[in-house]
Amino acid sequence: MDATEIEFLAEKFPITIVPNFAQEKLYLISGDVGPFNPGIPLEVPMWLGMNLRQRGKCRLVIPPWMDAEKLAEKKEEESQSKVFTEMPCEHYLVVAQLLLSAAPEDIPNSQQVKTLVKDMWDLRISKLRSSVAEFIKIEGTHAKLDRLTLLEINSIRPFLPHAFDHLHRLSKAAYTSKLSQTQEL
Amino acid sequence: MSDSEEDIIEGSGDEGEAMTASEVLQKLEEAWITERISPTLERHQSELVDCMLDQINQMTENLKRCKKHDFRLAIHKMEIDRIRYIISSYLRVRLEKIERFAHYLLEKEANTTEESLAVLSPHEVAYARDYISSLESHFQSLVLQHVPENLRTFDAAKMSVKPNMDSYIFLRAKQETQGVDEEVDLEEGSQHLMRYKPISHLLHSGAVTLI
Repeated sequence: MDATEIEFLAEKFPITIVPNFAQEKLYLISGDVGPFNPGIPLEVPMWLGMNLRQRGKCRLVIPPWMDAEKLAEKKEEESQSKVFTEMPCEHYLVVAQLLLSAAPEDIPNSQQVKTLVKDMWDLRISKLRSSVAEFIKIEGTHAKLDRLTLLEINSIRPFLPHAFDHLHRLSKAAYTSKLSQTQEL
Repeated sequence: MSDSEEDIIEGSGDEGEAMTASEVLQKLEEAWITERISPTLERHQSELVDCMLDQINQMTENLKRCKKHDFRLAIHKMEIDRIRYIISSYLRVRLEKIERFAHYLLEKEANTTEESLAVLSPHEVAYARDYISSLESHFQSLVLQHVPENLRTFDAAKMSVKPNMDSYIFLRAKQETQGVDEEVDLEEGSQHLMRYKPISHLLHSGAVTLI
């Protein structure tokens, strides 16, 4: 899949906004949203929240994990741990990217948050790469990828599945040629 | 504006169970992702597509009655665009696969008797047939009629491309399943990289999703 498609999928996840306008409930096909009252926070899909923010109709409530201190802790945990740690959000990179680009002024310490999220991504991706290399070396046929987020999985596609396809093809070919040899003997 | 949430759609998908529009959308989105990733063509979901198209048309009609500067207009339009994107991407991926595996799919289609198991929708069957016949007549007029008679035979079955069922895919388990592919246990919520073939029946029963 394309990274933009992953972003599209992430955009339907909810975000809390504080609107500055009044509006009755909206009956969207994907579900009801609202009612909107000035100053009263409510949850809307991310794509709607972004649009309203760009039109200056609301303030975004930044998700609690997007806090410089918490991210620094998380980063420490990630770098200490050998395995992947649980991420606070399935689409952490996309969400951070969207929020940082749409409303950097709504985020306290936005520069720091940006760097921390990027560091976290780099840490996890390098972990992923080394585990992929190891995995190919031990010639496994099945991999478990718990706690990896969609975008991270996508970063090793199509490379890893294709590599496995080829390995599988080679082992199948080796097996059939061995079989035919034993039959000849 | 009418309340689109209250329109309950009968008989689409789960054995005649009524679904709300948002559930249909959710299913369609899943079908889209699955189709994007799966190495072969999955069972067609034209009821879901038709249902969503109906919803979009209904909504567009409703919007026509709105005032031009209505606040809701832009939001509803944006949502319609998003749904339309899913539908067209889904159908496009299917068409690409139908063209690539046309012969294989039609053969498979001829062997399925049960309608609920059909991979191709009636429209798609017609499309695949048309595609094959155009391709063959193209070969005829371009090359085959100009070569000596003994070389003219063209065996479509030999030339056809088959999907690689052994290709590896990423999946997430929705239910706990044990002993998949002889040795692997899938825990609920776990993510794996495996071959498509051993898990294809789990995909159809809804125990796993592709990611």
